[in-house]
Amino acid sequence: MSQVNYLNHDKSLKSWLFTLDHKRIGIMYLVAVSLSFLAGGILALLVRTELLGPGETIMSADAYNQSFTLHAVLMIFAFIIPAIPAVMGNFVLPIQLGAKDVAFPRLNLASFYIYLAGAAIALTALVVGRVDGGWTFYTPYSTSVGDGILFITAGVFVMGFSSILTGLNFIVTIHKMRAPGLTWNRLPLFIWSIYATSIVQVLATPVIGITMVLLFLERLLGIGIFDPALGGDPVLFQHFFWFYSHPAVYIMILPAFGIISDLMGTFSRQQVSGYKFVALSSVAIAFLGFLVWGHHMFVSGQSAVSSIIFSLITYLIGIPTGVKVINWVQTMYKGSVWLQTPMLYALMFLFTFSIGGFTGVMLGVLAVDVHLHDTYFVVAHFHYVMMGGNVIAALGGLHYWWPKMTGKMFNETLGRIAAVLVFIGFNVTFFPQFILGTRGMPRRYYDYLPEFTDLHVLSSLGSYILGVGLFLILGYLLHSLFRGKNAPANPWGALTLEWTHTTTPPDPHNFHETPIVTRGAYDYHLAPELFGGDGASGDGHGEEAEVSVPSGQATS
Amino acid sequence: MSQHAEHHITPIKTLVQVIVALFALTVLTVVTSRMDLGALDVPLALAIALTKGALVVSVFMALKYDNKVNAVVFGVGALFVVVFLVFTLFDTAFRGDLSSTTKGTIMEQEAAEEAILEREPDASALQFNRSNE
Amino acid sequence: MDLKPDERTMASTAEHPAHLQHHFVSSDQQFDAAKMGMWLFLITEILLFSGMFVAYTVYRVWHPEVFDGMAALLDWRLGGLNTLVLLASSFTVALGIHYAQVDNRKGLVTNLVLTFLFACIFLVVKYFEYSAKIEHGIVLGDGFAPHGVSHGVDYATYDVMFAQQFFSIYYVMTGIHGFHVLVGMGLFAWITVRAVKGHFTSAYYTPVELCGLYWHLVDIIWIFLFPLLYLI
Repeated sequence: MSQVNYLNHDKSLKSWLFTLDHKRIGIMYLVAVSLSFLAGGILALLVRTELLGPGETIMSADAYNQSFTLHAVLMIFAFIIPAIPAVMGNFVLPIQLGAKDVAFPRLNLASFYIYLAGAAIALTALVVGRVDGGWTFYTPYSTSVGDGILFITAGVFVMGFSSILTGLNFIVTIHKMRAPGLTWNRLPLFIWSIYATSIVQVLATPVIGITMVLLFLERLLGIGIFDPALGGDPVLFQHFFWFYSHPAVYIMILPAFGIISDLMGTFSRQQVSGYKFVALSSVAIAFLGFLVWGHHMFVSGQSAVSSIIFSLITYLIGIPTGVKVINWVQTMYKGSVWLQTPMLYALMFLFTFSIGGFTGVMLGVLAVDVHLHDTYFVVAHFHYVMMGGNVIAALGGLHYWWPKMTGKMFNETLGRIAAVLVFIGFNVTFFPQFILGTRGMPRRYYDYLPEFTDLHVLSSLGSYILGVGLFLILGYLLHSLFRGKNAPANPWGALTLEWTHTTTPPDPHNFHETPIVTRGAYDYHLAPELFGGDGASGDGHGEEAEVSVPSGQATS
Repeated sequence: MSQHAEHHITPIKTLVQVIVALFALTVLTVVTSRMDLGALDVPLALAIALTKGALVVSVFMALKYDNKVNAVVFGVGALFVVVFLVFTLFDTAFRGDLSSTTKGTIMEQEAAEEAILEREPDASALQFNRSNE
Repeated sequence: MDLKPDERTMASTAEHPAHLQHHFVSSDQQFDAAKMGMWLFLITEILLFSGMFVAYTVYRVWHPEVFDGMAALLDWRLGGLNTLVLLASSFTVALGIHYAQVDNRKGLVTNLVLTFLFACIFLVVKYFEYSAKIEHGIVLGDGFAPHGVSHGVDYATYDVMFAQQFFSIYYVMTGIHGFHVLVGMGLFAWITVRAVKGHFTSAYYTPVELCGLYWHLVDIIWIFLFPLLYLI
């Protein structure tokens, strides 16, 4: 790597900490978010180990309650929500748009530090006091037990700011910074999904802000808005909470959709089927996602009128989601599907996310939900969506863009082995939980009836396999940084700008001159010379794609 | 500078007209609220507030002359406030209808239950002859 | 919908002013981006306040008589005065931007200073309102216990169920709004200094425009708070 790139043009620590470069901010987010994932993951393994048998196995009931609460708070607020937008969005989005940076680079850096501050405040709760009521902070339990809640709410409030600033930045960037010729119909679908995600971030996150302020004041002063002892309404808290937290589920899943669309197009060598429908379905999901929050509250005592309305609209969400899944499958049809590691994750996603999605529709049925509410069925459902959806897609995206981010190829064989381990581990962990749930195993319980033991043991064993798979990924990715082969500019033969018009790793300013776009993001049927740029040579098919291109050749 | 030729400059005269209107509407809302208009009180106050808000947004904030995309942004924001409010009211305004299978309101049902209790015969009237058993 | 992509390359050969950041092609692109970013920020502010408006509406629908009675306890004269003060400050901001656009630095500075002063007046009035309430035990949270008599009002009679909800909402809403006024004063102090130094011209006045938008929003929030809390 003799050419100047964003990694080596200035190696001082200061140049990283004060960088305004979206790529470096993306990498810093990657490190921070991975650490959150590691911490949350270890807590998950502890929880699963405790559940190996009924009664106490390795920890007290108190420690168990705190573990699953912290697992959820870390995974949701510190990992999943920033994971794809803040890491891959930051790194890839401006380049895919043909821009030199996001619209507000300083705001971008600020959002990273705000995120760190928020995570730090939330973690203070660990030291200061117990938080054991789950990540939903339902009143009146949250306002009557422990002081830790004060820190968690403050932390979530602060992390929310970070999320808003990222979303705001991306919306403006997408509107105002597109390269000449890059019309809305030519945008990569990853951009479309990040766009929809950002809209949700901007519109929903402020409400969790005010909710956290009110919860904080309720706990600190007793203001009587949510506390029934003072005449407040705890169900109102649930409305406030889910007005954000349901759309937040789409903050988690929409970017995953974007990655899968890009992967499907690239690794099938085909125009993504139904491009416009896939693009607009992201926006439709973002919009409908705001109208269904009450389906978390079917047994809360909310009115039947609202339950029925929320249930109906919940079914509607299945339509745009189905449009996407069908089009992804259609994209592979008669394409030349190339089963590299990123594509394995995309296929895995189709399987796990579909299960997660369908069980979601089941839970939207009023009467069924009364039976399944707060059971392991719900736990399994949202892990199939969150982990089987977001995390699997994020892993696919990470493998896909890893060569571009680091300039190194990871070990493909280990990559495939790890993908299989993750797939097996994930399904063995969570599928038994559907069965546990239908048989009446309540979520968040420390102890359980002896007849549930077998399924719990199976689930825990699955989580260990999953853990091994994830650590293997960590291992070979880190190894590739030091020993990996140098990556060519476009190892996958993709057609989006980050592959065709930048070096690997990219130049500090992304492009030497602003690219001019003359085609869509997935026009694989067009002649290669129309693509322009540096990486257009070679379609990336076959083994020769993995041979490292001598440095300098890829530079223009 | 040619680059800024298209920036709209709102004439001072327009600004003065708007501030006069805003002051007048403020006085109007105070006066009408001091009179007791019954059911009209709340809608009128909200209508005046909305008018004032619209004046500030369109002229002072120049949304009227601005890039359309900013108007869309503002409109979407306002729309979701309405969504938040209306969907929450779907619950809170109908709270308690959950186990109800009749068309009557909770209060009507309670009144009906009380009426049944009143019609209930005295305990002395319920002394049945059980000697046959 | 917005700037056509192709127009940007044409502008790229134009002059490169000092305020133009490297990743933008033209001043116009930079100005439009900043303004759109500000509008997006403003809707996050609106949604932040929306939570309070929803809480207000829900409790008002549930307890209309209590809310009616409690509103009477707030002084509509002071609330009305503050409404006029904030409207006037919005007007001076709009004038300030007008003067910035026509390169009248004196007009700009005068109006920015006026805006700052109006904001001060608003907070002073708010301070007197708050202290009059706190004096009679109407506080945020635990200590809520209206007592004492003044101006012929016996506060103890206002110690009824759900009165606390009204005043909690009142304090949180006006408190967060007051915090925004405070932030606005900081912003205006900063841009007044920059205006005096001559940083703004008709070619570049983005910070004035953005602070103005923020200030108008603070005004709009109050336009709604005033009738909801004081009048109806």
